[in-house]
Amino acid sequence: MIDAYFIHLLILIGIYLILAISLQLSLGYSGLLNLGHIAFFGIGAYVSAILSLHGVSFLLSVLIAGLMSGLFGWLLSIPTNKLKGDYLAVTTLGFSFVAYAIFQNWTEVTRGSFGLPGIPRPNIFGVDFSENTSFLILVIIFVLISYFFIRRICNSQFGKVLEATRDDELAAKSLGKNTLKLKSISLAVSAFFAGVAGSLFASYITFIDPSSFTFLNLIPVLLIVIIGGLASLRGTILATIIIILLPEPLRFIGLPSSILGPARQIIFALMLILIIYFKPRGFFGRVDLE
Amino acid sequence: MTNIFLQLLINGIIAGAIYALVASGFSLIYSTNKFVHFAHGGVIVFSAYFLFWLFAKLGLNFYLSAVLTILFSSLLGYALNKIFYKPLRAKKSSSSILLVASIAILILLESLALLFFGADVKIINFIKNSQGLELFGAIITPLQIIIVLVSALLFFILFVFMEKSKIGKAMRAVADNKDLAEISGVSSEKIYNWSFIIGSAIAGCAAILIALEQNITPTMGTNLMIKGFTGAIIGGIGIVPGAILGSFLLGIIENFGIWFLPSAYKDAIAFILLFIFLLFRPQGILGIKNNPK
Repeated sequence: MIDAYFIHLLILIGIYLILAISLQLSLGYSGLLNLGHIAFFGIGAYVSAILSLHGVSFLLSVLIAGLMSGLFGWLLSIPTNKLKGDYLAVTTLGFSFVAYAIFQNWTEVTRGSFGLPGIPRPNIFGVDFSENTSFLILVIIFVLISYFFIRRICNSQFGKVLEATRDDELAAKSLGKNTLKLKSISLAVSAFFAGVAGSLFASYITFIDPSSFTFLNLIPVLLIVIIGGLASLRGTILATIIIILLPEPLRFIGLPSSILGPARQIIFALMLILIIYFKPRGFFGRVDLE
Repeated sequence: MTNIFLQLLINGIIAGAIYALVASGFSLIYSTNKFVHFAHGGVIVFSAYFLFWLFAKLGLNFYLSAVLTILFSSLLGYALNKIFYKPLRAKKSSSSILLVASIAILILLESLALLFFGADVKIINFIKNSQGLELFGAIITPLQIIIVLVSALLFFILFVFMEKSKIGKAMRAVADNKDLAEISGVSSEKIYNWSFIIGSAIAGCAAILIALEQNITPTMGTNLMIKGFTGAIIGGIGIVPGAILGSFLLGIIENFGIWFLPSAYKDAIAFILLFIFLLFRPQGILGIKNNPK
């Protein structure tokens, strides 16, 4: 019983870790105040759920889901590329609202608020991952791939130019860097991994509905990135573990679910306010939120 | 025989009036404070529940409840500024930090409303949604007429206040150039406070009218803010008359969009409009082109 609960938490930590490090790429390394990240997570979840419900194999669904999310990330970057700070934030937030409206209303495909039940657990080349223990192994593999891929990007020449663009876009431009294109790529890659996280989420929970992809669900992810510190991947790992585990004790003091939900949100909101006041750079942050 | 064109126009004006009530207060606060006070939507939600509590739970007279609600909302806005934003400003936090703080406050207010009042919708039955009146083949309810008239009156009062009163003039001065205003002896902190008080009072009025027309739910604030913000961007974000104009335009376009799209996609129409403006006229209709952020 304890083991099963522990494994469940580890799987959640893994999925949120992919989501958070992918947000780190656009928010931390590129300085894009992207509040639409949960929409990419949702697009990935829906695309892979629909594909796997139609018998497409797991790996292919994940890949297509990631690419679709990435495509939307790239599309979103076109009109928002020149925006900064609060304008960008609210526009990307608006994007997540539209995504939610589509999940909710395109009922022929998404079944609206009834959600999509019976999403199959992965089966890769005959190896079955339907048990939580084996699913955890799969999630760990995905986390490692995503982590090393994103770390590679961030430490590469490309990542350095991204950071230069974040710190001084005009200077980067004057050195002949196409900063708009850089930001587009960053947002697309970031959205790709959010889509991958969404696919894992859909096949783990085996049921998705629009309520998992609202603005409220963005708050813990945003909190993870800010607590971990902008442009710090190891901070993100630490913060993910803390933020996923932190509200868990609430479950054991026997609160009814009608109080549990808002209580979690209140904790997250208060933590967000406290962290930006007392330690705006989080644990290992290297830059300020501009 | 109903006249569809006129009906959609009327629906658009009513929706626009509600968006404009949200956008004008928000835009007033933005004009002086220069950051997106997202929690404005939370102030509206909390004020709507406060009205529900006074009127439906305690059984107070409606007009008394309404006055108390407006007082409550100004106080709430003032308190939010004092408790959260002022300390952050003192630490020279960027406008993005203040935006993240305001999102956290919005979530805080909505979650508290959910905790205190539950997730079920609340209805204020003061003006019965009675039979609509027919006007050249379009239907409009008495309540909707009240909404449009009250908001028009409110915008007029706001306009006179901004143009004629000492505080209004000081607000415009701070909005225009904070440093110059301070040199001429205007305390910008004081003006920030006043912006929050007056902007939130308008939020209180918005809460009352929205509570009468729609159901009250804990999460309605976020949606209202997205619409209010879109309206403000369309008209020019730091310019209150622009925000009002943009909101009416948004309401009308959204409602005419139903001719082409299912009504559930209203949000998508608002978003497309927002994109078009951000791409081609980021300073909004009434905005002056300087550096689009």
